[in-house]
Amino acid sequence: MYKSFSLLIIIIISIFIYLWQQNTSTRYAYKVSSLQFEYDNINLENDSLKLKINSILALEKMDKIAKEKNFSTPDEGSIVYID
Amino acid sequence: MIKNTKQIDRKILLTLIVFMFFFILFIKLMLIQIFLHARINTTVEKMINRENVEVAKRGDILDSKGNILASSIKKHNIFLDPKIIEDFCELKNVLSENGITFKEKNLNEFGKTAYVPIAFNVDTKLVNKIKNKKLKGIGFENKYVRQYPEGKLLAHILGKTGYNGSGLAGIEKRYNEVLSGNNIITKNRRDGHGYIIRDKFVDKSKICGQNIKLSIDRTIQFIVEQELRKTFDKYKAKKAICIVQDPKTGNILAMVSLPDFDSSTKIKDIEVLKNSAISDVYEPGSTFKIVTISAALEEGKIKFSDVFYLENGRYKIANHTIKDNHKIEGCVSLSKALEQSSNIAMVKIAQKLGKEDFYRYIRKFGFYSLTGIDLPDEAKGLLKDIKKWDVLSLPTLSFGQGIGVTAIQMINAFSAIANDGVLVKPSIKYIEKSDTKTVDNSCNSKEMWRVVSVETAQIVKKLLKNVVDFGTGKSAKISGYTIGGKTGTAQKFDPTTKTYSLKYYIASFCGMIPAMNPKIVILVVIDEPKGANYYASSVASPVFANIAKRTVQYLNIKKDDKN
Repeated sequence: MYKSFSLLIIIIISIFIYLWQQNTSTRYAYKVSSLQFEYDNINLENDSLKLKINSILALEKMDKIAKEKNFSTPDEGSIVYID
Repeated sequence: MIKNTKQIDRKILLTLIVFMFFFILFIKLMLIQIFLHARINTTVEKMINRENVEVAKRGDILDSKGNILASSIKKHNIFLDPKIIEDFCELKNVLSENGITFKEKNLNEFGKTAYVPIAFNVDTKLVNKIKNKKLKGIGFENKYVRQYPEGKLLAHILGKTGYNGSGLAGIEKRYNEVLSGNNIITKNRRDGHGYIIRDKFVDKSKICGQNIKLSIDRTIQFIVEQELRKTFDKYKAKKAICIVQDPKTGNILAMVSLPDFDSSTKIKDIEVLKNSAISDVYEPGSTFKIVTISAALEEGKIKFSDVFYLENGRYKIANHTIKDNHKIEGCVSLSKALEQSSNIAMVKIAQKLGKEDFYRYIRKFGFYSLTGIDLPDEAKGLLKDIKKWDVLSLPTLSFGQGIGVTAIQMINAFSAIANDGVLVKPSIKYIEKSDTKTVDNSCNSKEMWRVVSVETAQIVKKLLKNVVDFGTGKSAKISGYTIGGKTGTAQKFDPTTKTYSLKYYIASFCGMIPAMNPKIVILVVIDEPKGANYYASSVASPVFANIAKRTVQYLNIKKDDKN
């Protein structure tokens, strides 16, 4: 009787462990999915920001700003080259 | 006793009931997990599995310093399915809060259609905001949009992509397969609410197109474009071309063709996509004289110390008179003849050389052959078959008439002289697998063959230096540097009158800096400059000087001229 009861307990515990790990893996799968989504979005945003930086630093725009601010090329004599 | 027995019976019964309950539960679980497992799994798989197309991001195009010249960013089109919209007012409010409006006031106005596009190229951030509202009857389409942060700069090199994202011109066309990447189908699992439960992790960097790094330096490209455009506008030219090349490696540092276009906007005339620097054929005129002189020097037909009688500026050949623009009386040295761009001297040199040798050297310098530059639609040029040459072919070819060349062929020929006689394949890119690893070493030199000896190349470089110091190329001079180069003012052939036009010219200048150990070679071609001053020395050489001045400063090339 005691042996049968112990066996039953073991079987029940095993089933519950199995169900628990199924549940946990599902929860982690949700987490992985949401993290991947976040990762993709960050990547996209990163690409878009890189492009934005390049657009802001486009030479034509820089040249226009330099002209607006009356910047000019310095004289040859006023440049000190550091080796 | 009887009471005790009854109590025991009840306990056993209760135990049995509990036991039976768990036993039935166990049996049911076994039935589901073991025996019905496959059938249930198949049904569930069908319900939860969704196939999803992962669109590959097109690779970026970068300049030699890693600046982005072309890139794709994810955008979305938003559409409505009026048949499944539950709360139209709420949907309309949410969209209008996010800046998306449409004219329809109620659902009936949409008619029977199940697809009503309402917004295009919407940012991912905004789409996610709308998605979080969990509205019914609204759908999103993903796509990548190609963007060119530098605008018109490099338009002819980069080219353009079509509506389906594939390349139509330039690098976009030439390396379409490398840039495109591979779209893949991923299987997603979703729960009853549509949330993804176990999505197979897709490393998007592995399906994306590869980045392409160009040998082009965007700063030099900008300098060239700015200086060339000034002259293009000033002389109201039909076209203008400028190429900057590293003669040692063959790398193209800048290439500009005007008029240009903006790769981001719609193109109405497809002709504008043509890159004149590699596709247009022109008669080079006097810049071609380096081929005549190099060939004759290499074959030992002339020496640096030789003198030529220039026939007082008029030389008759088979009832045709060859004239010199700069009339020189008496005899002149080889250097003086080139400095003053004498056609008569070139005819005499070509006659000494002979047509077979001359033809061989024209081909050896890469004319009438594709240079192999990695851009689409390169032209081969024009050259009459040697068997069909008439009595005027050799004389006129000697000063660059009767041959059609492309700008890339011409600069490559000058680069061969600059590179001590070795012709190098011009190149515009190298492919990168990732941002740091280089797949091939196409940035290294790609020598094709030796055209002339080092000694001949040195003499030609000295002659070209004299052209800039004392001859027609004086306006190409910049302080602190020695420059070697040659001007070319060629009459354009008029197909209607079948004669050379007295109205339309091509002014060009090709030069190298520093003269004897060139670090860069620059070619400037101005097609049909308007006005009385159409000479290369007035139109093309100053452009060269302006570009050279700014480029040597940018590249920090050491000064070599103390005068």
